Amino acid sequence: MLITRRAALAAGLGAPFIRLARAADEPLRVGALCPLTGAGGQYGPSMVKVIQAAADEINQAGGIAGRQIAVTVADTQTNPDAGVAGGHKLIDLDRVSAVVGTWASAVTTAVAPLCWEAKVMLFTVSGADSITKLPHQGYIIRTQPNTYLQMTRATQFLLDNKAKRVFALAAQTPFAVDSYNRITEVLKAGGAEAVGQIVYDSKQTSFRSELDRAIAEKPDTLFFNSYAPDLAVLLRELYQAGYDGHRITPGYAATPTTLSSLQPELTNGLWSFAPSPDLDSPAYAAVQKILGTQTPDPYSCQVYDHMNLIALAVAKSGQTTGVAIHDAIRAVSQGDGQAVHSAIEGMPLLATGKAVNYSGASGPCDFTPEGDIITCKFRFDMVEDGKPKLLSLS
Amino acid sequence: MEGAVLAVPAIGFNAVYAVLRFANFAVASIATVGAYAGWMANTALGWPVAPSLLVAFLVAGVVGVLADEAALRPLRPSGALTTAIASVALAIVLENALRFLFGNDPRGFDLPVYRDWRGFGLHVGPQQVRDAGAAVVAMAALFGFLAFTRAGKTMRAVADNPMLASLKGIDAVRIGRIASFTGLGLVGFGGMLIALDTQVDPLTGFRVLLSIFAAAVVGGLGSIPGAVMGAFLIGIGEEVSLLVFPATYRGAVGFLAILLMLSFRPAGLLGQRVS
Repeated sequence: MLITRRAALAAGLGAPFIRLARAADEPLRVGALCPLTGAGGQYGPSMVKVIQAAADEINQAGGIAGRQIAVTVADTQTNPDAGVAGGHKLIDLDRVSAVVGTWASAVTTAVAPLCWEAKVMLFTVSGADSITKLPHQGYIIRTQPNTYLQMTRATQFLLDNKAKRVFALAAQTPFAVDSYNRITEVLKAGGAEAVGQIVYDSKQTSFRSELDRAIAEKPDTLFFNSYAPDLAVLLRELYQAGYDGHRITPGYAATPTTLSSLQPELTNGLWSFAPSPDLDSPAYAAVQKILGTQTPDPYSCQVYDHMNLIALAVAKSGQTTGVAIHDAIRAVSQGDGQAVHSAIEGMPLLATGKAVNYSGASGPCDFTPEGDIITCKFRFDMVEDGKPKLLSLS
Repeated sequence: MEGAVLAVPAIGFNAVYAVLRFANFAVASIATVGAYAGWMANTALGWPVAPSLLVAFLVAGVVGVLADEAALRPLRPSGALTTAIASVALAIVLENALRFLFGNDPRGFDLPVYRDWRGFGLHVGPQQVRDAGAAVVAMAALFGFLAFTRAGKTMRAVADNPMLASLKGIDAVRIGRIASFTGLGLVGFGGMLIALDTQVDPLTGFRVLLSIFAAAVVGGLGSIPGAVMGAFLIGIGEEVSLLVFPATYRGAVGFLAILLMLSFRPAGLLGQRVS
């Protein structure tokens, strides 16, 4: 096909205008980097479902001042190598402005530098303290209470239940050591004692030797800082070893499906603790509706909040870049603005120049300068007949 | 006890290597296939452990042969390395097929749990004894097959000297299928034994892949008795290492073993010298 000089000239003059027109239609690109497989595989798929539903909700209401949200999904496999590969793809290839939903602390720690170096916002549900201590220059927002807060509340629960000698068995993770340090501190302040910790490789098929060592210290409570697959093995071998004392573990290890896969004798009386979503929030009701369950998991609640916060930040700043979200996030998440529970509720207010303060499904969503949440609720359960039963929520 | 359970998939891995001369990393997912098959027999049909183990063996063997025919046999003329790489891809495909069918949720067997037997300052689990017993029965059955049946003897002939065997008129393809069926069936049997102690999920076999490979390498690739020795050595070595190292580093024992073995005796304990 011959290109005439006139056509070429017209195209050349028109090109900048075409680009400008596209820029205003440029979608807000968000990457969902979640554990679709691996130890976190019980949560990844519902987290992705909520992320996509939150984006669809906003898009159907007209988007963010006309801009649509485009979500791209990548699987971390609950493994830092795959997480980094996924992160590279989302940041370098799909050019996202924000990455949402990294779950395992090891994965988040590996992915975080990619994000802050590319000036992409990272919204994570991981708990390890070390994450917000990284030099992230404000590019990490974390809605999960950090290890310090979690261990403080969990150990306080043990003290309230008269524990005196606590032994910890922890999977090898970035939060294993920090957890034990905080458990030791809180126990000591409460007149009890931490009698030892064993950090194990979670891929092992047997922990009999490790459990023998733990039981030899005569604890009245065992603290399993575990993931679900290793917890299943530990509970079975603990029963076989004849231990009858107390056991406590995080809620993400003692999931309903893990509990139902084990015989009731193995799980009866097991305590679990978890940060609790804000059960009264309209945002929580929205997540219940998206997942079709009365009890959505805390991570799906958090990523719903991530998406709404991103949309509000973009609406406030008028730009879709990671830098824009970074600069505007705390202006919409906390402060003296009007309380809102969704981006759809808040965007019209922002458009008229008013300030908003988002509170979401996971809690008030107010962040420290390092990116941690200031506070949230916790729930404590005990397993009865293979199902968790709520003991207290505060 | 753990050595005995790992020995079975390690034997399967080495049996395939002995006859087909390539490292079949799909054992990771074949073990998981066996675990799911046994689990279905136990929970959906209500069968006890022994028949469920048989189902695990049969289903894993059949799936293994079919997968081999579809994905690996066409690549064997291109060399052992290519086939080994393809077997990694096959493992991922099978794992995700299982994930698609069953989801990520962990599953447990419908079996009672027992407390350990105690005596003389030791404690032993009835479950562990049962699993070790099953492993021994499987090994004995394999020994009987290889020593006394025509197909078994033919397999050993092909493993020993493929050229001579083909001159004698032995059909290499048929023997290859028998080797895959037997070896991968044993891997599935071992997969169910592992799942009995842990849980059934798409990663059941993958978690032990490197331990199986370590046992096979230490014992000597291609050697069936070597696989047994390797598995026991690694199992015992890991326990003994707890006296010296903290439990966190237990997983490294298998890899230290591979490193030492490949540095000083690359053929493994009982493997043939590579000329």
